[in-house]
Amino acid sequence: MMALRRLFSRVRKIATLHRDDARLREELDEHLALQTEDNLRTGMTPAEAHRQAALKLGAVATIRENYHAEEGLPFFELLLHDALYATRRLAKAPVFTTVVVLTLALGIGANAAIFSVVHAVLLRPLAYNQPDRLVFVGEDRPAAKITGDGFSWSSFLDLRQHHAVFSSVTGLAGHALTLTGRGEPADTSTIAVTPGFFSVFATTPLIGRALNDADGAQGAAPVVVLSEVLWRNRFGADPAVIGTPIELDQRAFTIVGVMPASLRTPFFDQAEQVWIPLLQDPLFSHWIARPPQTHWMPVIARLQPGVSLRRTQAELDAFSVSTERASSEEQGWIAKAQPLQQILVGDLRPPLLLLLCAVALVLAIACANIANLLLTQATSRSKEIAVRIALGASHGRIARQLLTESALLGLVGGAAGLILAWRSVPALVLLLPANLPRLRSIHVDAAVLTFTLVLSLAASLAFGLAPVFFAAQSDPQSTLRSGGGAGETRGSRRARNLLAAGEVALAAILLIGAGLLLRSFARLLSVGPGFATEQVVKAQISLPRFQYARPEQWAAFAADLLTRVQAQPGMRDAAFAAPLPILDDAVTLPFSIAGNPPPAQGNADTANYVAASPDYFRVLGISLVRGRVFTADDASSTPPVAVISQALAERYFPHQDPIGRHMMFGFPPRGDVSREIVGVVADVHDVSLARAPGPLMYVPFAQAPFWGGDVVVRSGLSTAAVAATIRTETRAIDKNLPVTQVEAFPAALSASLAWPRFRTLLLGGFGGVALVLAALGIYGVVSFSVSSRAREIGVRMTMGASPAHVQRLVLGESTRLALLGLAVGIPAALALARLVAALLFGIAPWDPLTFAAVALLLVTVTLAAAYLPAHQAARTDPMKALRSE
Amino acid sequence: MKQKRDVQQGTLALMVLRTLDVLGAQHGYGIARRIEQISGDVLAVNQGTLYPVLLRLEQEGAIASAWGPSENNRRARFYRLTRAGRKLLETEKRDWEQSAAIVARFFEVKAEDLA
Repeated sequence: MMALRRLFSRVRKIATLHRDDARLREELDEHLALQTEDNLRTGMTPAEAHRQAALKLGAVATIRENYHAEEGLPFFELLLHDALYATRRLAKAPVFTTVVVLTLALGIGANAAIFSVVHAVLLRPLAYNQPDRLVFVGEDRPAAKITGDGFSWSSFLDLRQHHAVFSSVTGLAGHALTLTGRGEPADTSTIAVTPGFFSVFATTPLIGRALNDADGAQGAAPVVVLSEVLWRNRFGADPAVIGTPIELDQRAFTIVGVMPASLRTPFFDQAEQVWIPLLQDPLFSHWIARPPQTHWMPVIARLQPGVSLRRTQAELDAFSVSTERASSEEQGWIAKAQPLQQILVGDLRPPLLLLLCAVALVLAIACANIANLLLTQATSRSKEIAVRIALGASHGRIARQLLTESALLGLVGGAAGLILAWRSVPALVLLLPANLPRLRSIHVDAAVLTFTLVLSLAASLAFGLAPVFFAAQSDPQSTLRSGGGAGETRGSRRARNLLAAGEVALAAILLIGAGLLLRSFARLLSVGPGFATEQVVKAQISLPRFQYARPEQWAAFAADLLTRVQAQPGMRDAAFAAPLPILDDAVTLPFSIAGNPPPAQGNADTANYVAASPDYFRVLGISLVRGRVFTADDASSTPPVAVISQALAERYFPHQDPIGRHMMFGFPPRGDVSREIVGVVADVHDVSLARAPGPLMYVPFAQAPFWGGDVVVRSGLSTAAVAATIRTETRAIDKNLPVTQVEAFPAALSASLAWPRFRTLLLGGFGGVALVLAALGIYGVVSFSVSSRAREIGVRMTMGASPAHVQRLVLGESTRLALLGLAVGIPAALALARLVAALLFGIAPWDPLTFAAVALLLVTVTLAAAYLPAHQAARTDPMKALRSE
Repeated sequence: MKQKRDVQQGTLALMVLRTLDVLGAQHGYGIARRIEQISGDVLAVNQGTLYPVLLRLEQEGAIASAWGPSENNRRARFYRLTRAGRKLLETEKRDWEQSAAIVARFFEVKAEDLA
């Protein structure tokens, strides 16, 4: 209460700039007069009485100082005063101020930009109701080293029965179905869900209703829920759509509701989307019923309020070993719950944190640079500071003044950096891989603003402390006596040298990191995928599964399309296959080899699976090693055959001839077809360029068709011409078939490298900035040292030192700085490089070439930066230098 | 001349309040003089802290001040205790007596008392 009253009174004093100085003066005068009178009464002479009174009162200035300290809010007054003073000072040195602000803007702007990505992708909670309650539930099979698989349908049903810890559970699966009935046929992201989906995400529909339990029952009428964006774009936001039918893969679904645009399905993040009951899905509904049970379905659950993740896992452990499961096919599968956010962005953590660290290093270098500049300044300001100390300013007062100045610089630099970040974030987003989760939500927001503010202040403290430290050490007497010239203390000179060496060390770390990524990216680019992509165009076609329900139809469609396309001029090299290497998700299937002992339960060998037309190997240039590839004679009516890759042959048929042997495998539901191996082909990178080729098994598309796939055409014609032909011929068969993902193969392949490219580019850019900043730092230190040693150099030259000698002296000094920096930076980089090891491809984190190249580069750049000042020093006119003092 | 002790920080405010309580309105010099007198000239009041303390007490509302004529018929600032100040003095007095009693007990204590 009293404290509040005091504060109020103090604030009022500041606000009104009201000072009771006159009152205090009068009070003190009266005090003095009364004391003097008392003294006179004791018999002193008037002069003595006055002197004693004044002595007793003490220094009036101190009393006034103490009085004013009580009176206003001195902290803020001083701050205001210091800030105004700093503004005046900085305005008087426009070049210095501009250099510092630009350096800071670069450092802080880069940090703010990267932080906005990190915040949007990694840190910001998922955009769902109480997102921390959402968990992803997967199943592991430790015996087979399988982790993070989905649930099988029967396992999911068990889980739904036992879900005391969950308030709701949903399984989901997504793919594209063809939406027809209104406008052009379009591939539409279709999420097949169990009815719990909308309560897991706690979303209520914009209009209509969500899916209910009855919709999810066997034999229910097919219904669909639309996303708001789809509803607006395709249905003109017409509320009357509720109750009307749309066609998905040419089967009618009744629209029952529209979900707000805020609801985005995890893993399937498209704006235009529909949700249907899983049992109504043309594909997944078939995966439910038939054994063998595959673990294909991701499960997401919402935890009951107050239930911890640990307790959930304990319940799941009990569930996994429960008796009913022990006797079923689910034996050995362990259910694991993980926060949904971790699953969605977990992989992105290391590369994004790497970038954040890199950009923090850039800022550290920038700060070292500015600290150096400020030290240089402080040296030339030492006289001013000495005078102020002599006039009674305390060291604390000087420190506050200096820190206020650097805080001002930091804030202005931070503001400029923020503008830079705000302008560069959209460009950064374009650079980022298009499939990055939450890519659209990356922008400069309140969190980024706060981060930038804190960072600016932290940075100003970092670079502001060095000059404060040396100002505190300075002795006003000796400074004033020495004439306050450019003479610098040994301490501050050493500090500046250390800062410059530190910059070299930090730059070395950053450049080595960038170098490693660059070399590994070059390696990645030089990896032959194992197939030829030049002049190859690919296009995807998906067949509606209600109209094209039978595998024979799929095979017939592919054959028909290929015949038509190959008949066009220049399009003879055309093939049909699914999935394509690298671009499509791989299909991994278990297999067994006839004549080998059967594998232990649940421990089947697996290989990736491709269904291809006969010309596939020729079009993609996959060379035949032994035997033959498929021919037109391998049809559904002839005995099943297979072609295997060299890796499979070597691993599973060591020192044997696989030709003529039989393997049992197939795409569910026909998982156990015995096929004769007729050929062995060269390996291809089927998953990614960075992953070594694994075992692959090919089957003729005619014998094991999919409901669609990719057309690949090798042609001298332009991509557009090839695409047009594929579209025309597809439409000629069925005008309702959408052709999607039409691309030149090399371009599509290059897009698959978006992540490594992004981080390499960014880290390379940061390395470049670090190099420039370090060079500037060295230049600053050396040139200041040369100018402050002009007299010494003059003396040396008078004593007979040659210009070349002087030049060597200066260059030698800077080389020592660089070597000192490298001596710290290289071991540090060696220690840190292990952290990026996971991101490297084809080179070791201690790659000697990278380390040597960076060391050489830094020494060269240091010498180049020191050359100008060294040259200047060598041209010193000794007479002038000696006379100038 | 005997060595005078400076008034301990924190007790000065209490002395000011008590002086005003006993003697009524006083100017700054008067307060300093009375405190020194009461202490038998053992204490020296540091004017550098007296006036800030007066200002603080006034800001807290414990005392109020007004101009008035001094002994030599010039203007002096007179301070008087307010109702809040009297209450503050009561509390401070109790606190002080309590801590003094505690300290006194510590001085009186003998080993056999605790046996």
